[in-house]
Amino acid sequence: MNGQEGSDILQPLIAAAHELKAPLALVRQLALTLEDTTLSDAERQRLHDHIVLTSERALRLTGDLTKTARLQDAMFQLEPINPEQMCREVVGELGPLFEAYGRQVTFKGRRHPLLLVANRDLLRRILLNFSDNALHYSEPGTPVHLQVQALRGSGMIRVGVRDYGPALSSDMWKTLKNKLATAPQPVHARPESSGLGLYISGQFADAMHGTIGAVRHRDGATFYVELPASRQMNLL
Amino acid sequence: MTKVLLVEDSKWLAELEAGVLERAGYTVSVVHHALAAIQTIDKNRPDVIILDVLLAGSTAFALLHELQSYGDTGPIPVVLCTNMAEQLSLDELAPYGVVRIIDKATMRPDDLIAAIKVVTL
Repeated sequence: MNGQEGSDILQPLIAAAHELKAPLALVRQLALTLEDTTLSDAERQRLHDHIVLTSERALRLTGDLTKTARLQDAMFQLEPINPEQMCREVVGELGPLFEAYGRQVTFKGRRHPLLLVANRDLLRRILLNFSDNALHYSEPGTPVHLQVQALRGSGMIRVGVRDYGPALSSDMWKTLKNKLATAPQPVHARPESSGLGLYISGQFADAMHGTIGAVRHRDGATFYVELPASRQMNLL
Repeated sequence: MTKVLLVEDSKWLAELEAGVLERAGYTVSVVHHALAAIQTIDKNRPDVIILDVLLAGSTAFALLHELQSYGDTGPIPVVLCTNMAEQLSLDELAPYGVVRIIDKATMRPDDLIAAIKVVTL
């Protein structure tokens, strides 16, 4: 193994270690605070809920990492999936976490249902990743919306996660776009995150013959995955 | 009363830390990113800043540069409270107003109070 190969292997590992360090440090602080005997039952319950939600977030990341490592030697079944139903499931799963942060995650259905071809577990993990990023890197208090859109003429369907906040500067946007295309960087190189979640999502999309991307808005951003539309859509 | 500005992008950690400091008698303002920190400092100059390093948007280092570029904000002592403590050197950061580095991964809740007491003596 040469130096470059070693670095290629180590960088995602280092990024993963740092991404996990933040929730673990938070869980530790929450647990230490529980030692305070003057806390009310309600405060105690709230800390307990935060420990559970933060642990679940860290566990999602470890699950994603394991899945990424097995992408090369595992076959992932691709099947027709209703993305709207998937979005509703993700909204239901993340609802308690968003609520605990005083935020809202929503999905508004379309008039005409769509079908795409994907692996259910991988698509779910991508949407959880994007939504989690939106929760932690957009303006506090703003909502997060999941969206489904058919891309006319391309045979692809875009499932996106829209967040709100100040427009990203051109420099930050450039950095972010780089993260969409490259392996995660050591944490000292990041303006906000190592890009590990985006890297993982990109790997998952690739395994389903799809791509991920992002659109900058004047008041936030949309991170999306594009996947092939199912031909069964014509039957609907 | 000592005024503390807490810059921490983790909402729940910020709540925990602010609670500890308020119970110890400090007046605490909490912001979640560097831009809001600058706006708050302009309005109400704190006696000490507790600063996370990895923030959404600009990092703590951009804020440290900004603080050092003005005569009135340069002397405000800054305590870094970060998961990157093992990668940072107090000697290298002292010129940027950093007087102490606390490791989030190993700190106890009262460590923030101890740090503020030392730097505001």
